[in-house]
Amino acid sequence: MLSYLLFSVTIGGIYALLSLALNLAWGGAGLVNLGLAGFFGIGAYATALATGAGAPLAIGLCVAMAAGVLAGLAITGLTLRLRDDYLAIVTLGFGEIVRLVALNERWLTNGADGMSGILAPGKAALGVVGFNQAWAGGVTLVVLLVWLLLRRLDQSPFGRALRAVREDQELAGFAGKPVLRLKYQAFALSAAVAALAGALYAHYQSYISPDHFQPLITIYIFLAVTAGGIGRPVGAVLGAYCVVAFLEATRFLAAVVPGIEAVQVAALREALVGLSLLLVLHLRPKGILPERIPPAPKAPS
Amino acid sequence: MTASFADLSRRSLLATAALAPLALPRILRAEGQGPLRIAALSPLTGAGGTYGPAMVKAIRAVVEEANKAGGILGRPVELVAEDDQTNPEAAVRAARKLIDVDRVVGICGVWASSVAAAVAPLCWESGTMMLATAGADALTALPHRGFFARTQPNTTLQGRKFGEFALSQNAKKIVMLSPQTPFAQSQYENIAAAVKPAGGAVELLIYDDKKPSYRTEVQQALRGKPDAIVLGGYLPDTTVLVKDLLRAGFTGTRIAFAYSVNQKLIDSVPADTVEGIFTIAPSPAEGSPAWKHMASVTAMENPDPYSTQSYDQANLLLLAMQAAGTASGTAIRDNLRKVSQAPGGTKVGTITDGLAALKAGQAINYEGASGPCDFTDTGDIIDCQFRYEQVKSGKLTLLRIA
Repeated sequence: MLSYLLFSVTIGGIYALLSLALNLAWGGAGLVNLGLAGFFGIGAYATALATGAGAPLAIGLCVAMAAGVLAGLAITGLTLRLRDDYLAIVTLGFGEIVRLVALNERWLTNGADGMSGILAPGKAALGVVGFNQAWAGGVTLVVLLVWLLLRRLDQSPFGRALRAVREDQELAGFAGKPVLRLKYQAFALSAAVAALAGALYAHYQSYISPDHFQPLITIYIFLAVTAGGIGRPVGAVLGAYCVVAFLEATRFLAAVVPGIEAVQVAALREALVGLSLLLVLHLRPKGILPERIPPAPKAPS
Repeated sequence: MTASFADLSRRSLLATAALAPLALPRILRAEGQGPLRIAALSPLTGAGGTYGPAMVKAIRAVVEEANKAGGILGRPVELVAEDDQTNPEAAVRAARKLIDVDRVVGICGVWASSVAAAVAPLCWESGTMMLATAGADALTALPHRGFFARTQPNTTLQGRKFGEFALSQNAKKIVMLSPQTPFAQSQYENIAAAVKPAGGAVELLIYDDKKPSYRTEVQQALRGKPDAIVLGGYLPDTTVLVKDLLRAGFTGTRIAFAYSVNQKLIDSVPADTVEGIFTIAPSPAEGSPAWKHMASVTAMENPDPYSTQSYDQANLLLLAMQAAGTASGTAIRDNLRKVSQAPGGTKVGTITDGLAALKAGQAINYEGASGPCDFTDTGDIIDCQFRYEQVKSGKLTLLRIA
């Protein structure tokens, strides 16, 4: 039971990093990124390849984030004129492209067989239980650090400028904000955090395959950010842990419902996920912890 | 004094009452009296969602039959079914719950190769036995220490069957035409391994599967005047290829996968294009005692290969535990081959017969609904039945199952 809880905490932490990434681009700058699974995958494959070639963990994580930044910059550059639904569709396509490349470029990614035996730091030295404890602690610490960083960013002039872009980019440009640069920065940083999450996942599981990066995980993260509160980092983190707790709890919940088959349990779980989202949106339309907009400073009289 | 004594006893009584529900299963488990659990980790939603429900149904039928026959080692069996969502990320979360919370001794009914590859490390690290229906060659090459086996033939076995069939059609010079697939190379090597001892030779020709015409490829293939051509592609490219083969006047044997030359392809081209093509596919052991029994207990008229394999997997997990005398993943690993292929053992195809034979002290050889279910040391299936069909006047006609 304990190692299952530790595992869930670690996965919750990785979901939380993805939520923070999405919250920065979507909640901060209003850039809908449905290709989150693609950035997650890029990070995972980048570190798997780097550490596979003999690099230590730290270098692997840096390579993953650098790859994320590059991909983020490229996507922003390609989608400068797109917003809202159109941007969402293009990013969704990007996520699929990453998956298809991983599936077909066998020389690089080992194709559908996936990459197994990825460096799992500490597994041999700590044993299975120690490894789970260390990773639960380590990933939680990373979440804490990234959260503090993004919260600081949120409250800084940069964060306020991003919000201005989100609300009305023409007006922000008119007020002298560098809209283009802000978009590049926000998207690249968001991609780097998502790639970091992917890298941590790859090392924790030591196996990745193209199937890991199906859009399913993107949907869970959108659920987390929507439920937690768009535009507020602590809301995104809370939402992510809630989603993982909810996904896992429904296994036990659905199992005690009498007289239903396994396939109905699976369907019930999916229905519960949808129902809970509806309930959250109905009862707390802005999420559990809604965004707080600080009041405009009073003009000196 | 009296008061404090009464107080003490009440407190201890309360404590006992509170702790009893927690402690009881633990004690029972320690004595080996509680239920023993196995898991079905099958795709109930997602891309594999069409196969999973029947697989779980087959596994559940075995568990119910085992409980009717008195359980395993005198203990009732509990099935825990989890949905792998046909996604390795979700499957790993489900598997962690099965291993850490339910403490299952074996997991069966694992369908997708990527899911199997993601879950397998969890199993071999925790000493849980895992049986899968996934076919990717790489799976049994993982360092699984015996905790993994599968009932689905890998590409190696399928290749050998193609080679042997070509020989049976008196073909010595064979050309394999195939697009770049994960299994093309291994398929070719194993056809070669099968026909070489009989003096045959195979040539591999890889083509691009998006081309509108294969005239150059066909000319190149026919240059050496082959006796047989193996079509290794998927439906769209094979459709073009069979037309070009006819145009080039090839009259030798053509052998294809049953999933590419299927009724849909046959209906979409002129009849003489596909007349006489042979198709090969892994087949359940249709008509065998285990197959008949499975069809009746699951009320499935024509069970698909994956559900017959799942049925066999559940039987093997439970029989191996009974044979071992202990309920653990390691016990299953060490005894799997003793129940699946004991030399000279009594042939059994149901859990009831298997348990009876084991209790009578006999060695058993499980012959399943999907095939003989004999495993190599690395966990691959040694032999499985294949279904041979031929296109005759626009219809696929069954030649034999062997």
